[in-house]
Amino acid sequence: MKRPGLTASMLWPALIVILPLLFGPLLVLLHESLKPHIAGRVGGDATSALTLENYALLAGPEYAQYFLDTFRIGLISTVLALMLGYPMAHFIVRRASPIMRRILIASLIGTLFLSLIVRIYAISMTFGSLGPLAGFSRLLGIAPTSPSVAELMVVLGLLNTTMPLVALTLIGTIQNINPRLEDAALSLGAPHWKTFVQITLAMSVPGILSAGIIGYAFCISNLVVPMLVGRGFVLFVSNLIYFRFSEVANFPSGAALSIVMMVISLGIFYGLLHLVRTQWQEAGK
Amino acid sequence: MSSITRRTFTQGALAGSGLAMGGLMAPGMIRPAVAADRLMVVQWGAQWIDVSKQLLTKYQQTSDTQVAWELHSGGAAAVVAKIKATWPNTQYNVLSVWDPVFRSLMAEDWLVPVDENIVTNLKTIPDQFIQKNAAGQKMTIPLSTAGAFWGYREDLLPGGFESIEDLLKPEFKGKLCVPYPINLTGLFIVSCAIQRGGDEKNAEPGWEFVKELAKAGQIGEICTSNSEYINAMATGQYSVGFWNNGGWFATAKNFPVKIMNRMPDNKGFLYNEGFCVLKGAPEKAAFEFANFFADPANNEIYNMNLGSGPTQPTAKTNPKLDGWYYAPDELGKHAYFADFAYLGKVMNEWNARWEKEIVPLVRG
Repeated sequence: MKRPGLTASMLWPALIVILPLLFGPLLVLLHESLKPHIAGRVGGDATSALTLENYALLAGPEYAQYFLDTFRIGLISTVLALMLGYPMAHFIVRRASPIMRRILIASLIGTLFLSLIVRIYAISMTFGSLGPLAGFSRLLGIAPTSPSVAELMVVLGLLNTTMPLVALTLIGTIQNINPRLEDAALSLGAPHWKTFVQITLAMSVPGILSAGIIGYAFCISNLVVPMLVGRGFVLFVSNLIYFRFSEVANFPSGAALSIVMMVISLGIFYGLLHLVRTQWQEAGK
Repeated sequence: MSSITRRTFTQGALAGSGLAMGGLMAPGMIRPAVAADRLMVVQWGAQWIDVSKQLLTKYQQTSDTQVAWELHSGGAAAVVAKIKATWPNTQYNVLSVWDPVFRSLMAEDWLVPVDENIVTNLKTIPDQFIQKNAAGQKMTIPLSTAGAFWGYREDLLPGGFESIEDLLKPEFKGKLCVPYPINLTGLFIVSCAIQRGGDEKNAEPGWEFVKELAKAGQIGEICTSNSEYINAMATGQYSVGFWNNGGWFATAKNFPVKIMNRMPDNKGFLYNEGFCVLKGAPEKAAFEFANFFADPANNEIYNMNLGSGPTQPTAKTNPKLDGWYYAPDELGKHAYFADFAYLGKVMNEWNARWEKEIVPLVRG
């Protein structure tokens, strides 16, 4: 018997926690973004009239470039994470022996427990211009001393943290695809590649997009990776926000950047979610 | 025969306990429990926290004050934002910061004037090192005379350079490690401005010089913290830099370093680092703690490993710093005391300018 009243009432504890913890601070942030900032002082000026100036200052093409860089590098890292994570997840689900499966899953989870700082510095030391794999950038046509190496390092750093997350998410997706469908296709004479593309991969698309969204959210909101290996050349919007809040105490400008970033990110994610729902929902069932 | 009632027993027990306690407390055998004061002190990482912990161990041999440390994340200015977010309920009591941050804290009226009855060691610290508020009250306890200078690793760059104009030459491509402009409160830009005849209030020539460096690909890394700079210089990837004495001193422990603080066309920057006490702190404990660090003998220990000079005239300077600082007659020619009150006001603008004009150039 359905008891909608009871179900609705069970939502209240979560809402009571989320409303003040999430929406409350967001409203404070929005309000801060409308305050003028007085040079040399900390935070916004509460005594002056609210203004949109903090948003206007971000309207220049230079700041659009920071947003584009953030979304572009995040996208590159996410796509690479999916390209590397999917085969790994597929191998774990379909090919690996039970022991190997346990080892691989434990390794993926284990990397998530490793400090991000440790992993990023390890990458920096390995692929940096004096590291043992310094020549790696040359494979991609980038000179080891070129500023583009900073971007490569950021991509590697993000990949290192995103790939385990993506692979673990995809394990569930692939596991939910009935292997008999693949067997049926093969028994009817379909080649392996066609079976994989038209059945396994096609049915994984909603999961791939979900994993992609998780990975992408992680990438574009990342502060530490560009800060540690970006050499000051690659700055994400998170870094600009951090400098404003933390170093120059211009909270209103930091808040305005945060609001703009949040609105764009939400737009992208809802667009992707809509895509998943409308285009691939049925295939995922 | 007298019988013991419950009332007489209770009265007797209470009287006996009272007498016993009174008897024990009178000669000081039992003292009422007094909770030790607790201080939350913010300090820089690397050598700063090491020497501070060393001195704290010594301090706690005579004091019950409990001290918890928190490290600055990034530049010291970051602590200002953290305090603002919770003011007046900040958890911090004592801050170890430097002149520009002292200025910001004073502008917000967050500091307690120094109680000179407790901080008796302040008397022997030269008055010009101490930051004062508009009413002339002493607000800081300077512990170090520090500086920011150009320099290079001699093992990587045997010929060195004579002027920072030389850094535009092709052999310096990608070899410069410089601070993000908000680190060191814009002193890097000011140094470039001085090179081209400007200063902090006429910084345009400095911006032009930085643009030339960025456009030519001379800047190899832009650092945002001491640790980042020390690591960057240790890799050997970069040979030239502009940073504070702490970063240079840590580098000099492992590599030969030449500090370029007597260039004919440029200057070295001098400023002070030290303690200040925030309002709401247990003031007596905070000032006693600060006074201990300002003691001449402790001041010598404190600075010996920081690459900075002591503020107590009788404390000795690390002999390895010979030539890093200036004799009194050299100050006019080679030293520069930046107007940090002014720089504090333009930092926001300079930060935005760096983002808009310099970062696109260094990315090429």
